[in-house]
Amino acid sequence: MAQTQLADVFVEMADTLIDDFDVIEFLHVLAERCVELLGVSAAGLLLTDQRDTLQVVAASSERTRLLELFQLQTDQGPCLDCFRTGQPVSVADLTLTTARWPRFTAAAAEVGFAAVHALPMRLRSDVIGALNLFDVRPGALDEGKLRIGQALADVATIGLLQQRAIHRGDILTEQLQTALNSRVLIEQAKGVLAERLQVDVGQAFAILRDGARSRNRRLSELSQAIVDGSEQFAPGPDANLPG
Amino acid sequence: MGKDNPGRGDPTTSDRRLRLWAVLADAARGGTVAVDHVCATTVSVVGVDSAAVAVILDATPRVLMHATDRTASALEDLTLILGEGPGVDATTGGPVLVADLTAPECRNRWPVFAPAAVLAGAGAVFALPLRVGGIRLGVLDLYRARAGDLGAEQLADALVLADTACAVLLDDATRRGVDRDDQSPERTGLRHPEVHQATGMVMVQLGVSAAVALVRLRAYAYSQDRRLQDVAADVVARRLRLEPAGTPGDQNG
Repeated sequence: MAQTQLADVFVEMADTLIDDFDVIEFLHVLAERCVELLGVSAAGLLLTDQRDTLQVVAASSERTRLLELFQLQTDQGPCLDCFRTGQPVSVADLTLTTARWPRFTAAAAEVGFAAVHALPMRLRSDVIGALNLFDVRPGALDEGKLRIGQALADVATIGLLQQRAIHRGDILTEQLQTALNSRVLIEQAKGVLAERLQVDVGQAFAILRDGARSRNRRLSELSQAIVDGSEQFAPGPDANLPG
Repeated sequence: MGKDNPGRGDPTTSDRRLRLWAVLADAARGGTVAVDHVCATTVSVVGVDSAAVAVILDATPRVLMHATDRTASALEDLTLILGEGPGVDATTGGPVLVADLTAPECRNRWPVFAPAAVLAGAGAVFALPLRVGGIRLGVLDLYRARAGDLGAEQLADALVLADTACAVLLDDATRRGVDRDDQSPERTGLRHPEVHQATGMVMVQLGVSAAVALVRLRAYAYSQDRRLQDVAADVVARRLRLEPAGTPGDQNG
């Protein structure tokens, strides 16, 4: 992997952190960069809901079945194990884990994945979530990629906390809960757009995201405006609509 | 297919939820769990002195639904009259956890409310939003005379109880349409992304608000004795389309 590519991503992420940015959009871009930098097939970020479970907050693709696979791990799978132990969990060959995670293994195989890795998002002694990587080819991540993956997971943690007074538990709770609620808000906005434009919810996300970028608005703010009806969202003429 | 039992078909039901649900069911003495039971359970489980739920439905002004004692009631009055405080900020943002109301940053943030609340007997306030994405239902306010943080366990319990308060408020709306008396801690199905996607789709199909769309989805699921996430998946896949209220098709429970 080109060192400059890696440097570019960290510069991009650092630039984002300076501005008044949208956490969900930031985590979404981070998930996309994980796929590019680490050469994996898909990446997702899961956060603790502070009620003993994990929730999906961003993914490199909004394909419904991929989201379901991430969501399934709130119940069992490498992400949950990684979250509970605070240690990376790496499975080079998913055909060997049927006994350990029967539902997860079956669901991952159905989507076509052969290997899975989970890296902890740590804040001192706390684990606040996990970065989840899937690959269609079996195999372990080499040492270099593991380190880059962990660095990206750490960047996600920093982004989530927005460099604020992260020693304070109340800020952590506010950020985590707000991020998770924003994710719900985006799902609602996806539904509105899917029905209004007669597209599927995955396409609706792409349209929503393009709309936020072209309007220079935060993804969660635009979603709120769409859901409360204050924004009659219509995609631009260059929007990639089917038909 | 039976009615929902606690945790049926939802393996993510945690021990915490089941434990709290047992306390709530006990508080309700086997009847329907209401907001006052949630408040009473919050006081007994989370280790605060009082609790209150205020609702902000449909752009109406803040309305106090229940307060466990006079202190909570007085503090809610203050919030309403002054229009500031943790309980106001939490209705539009995330949780606002204030370990010490006498701290200078509190006086800066709520110059009138903070000193008044201290006089009224509050040392710490923990305001938890009752919201589901873009649906703002209200706030669960916890008050304690002693200053200090909530522990991680107490916070987790309080967040689960806030989820329950959301479910109770949605149920109040749902019950008007459908006669039902079963309850379970996971019946909201709110962990499933399809539920929120379907909420958005039903908003457009019926021309209603997000809150009404979610209530209609829940009412349909109950009337058909199906899980909310399954009904939502049908809506998202366009196998099911809810009809406007009053027309046949989704009222034949």
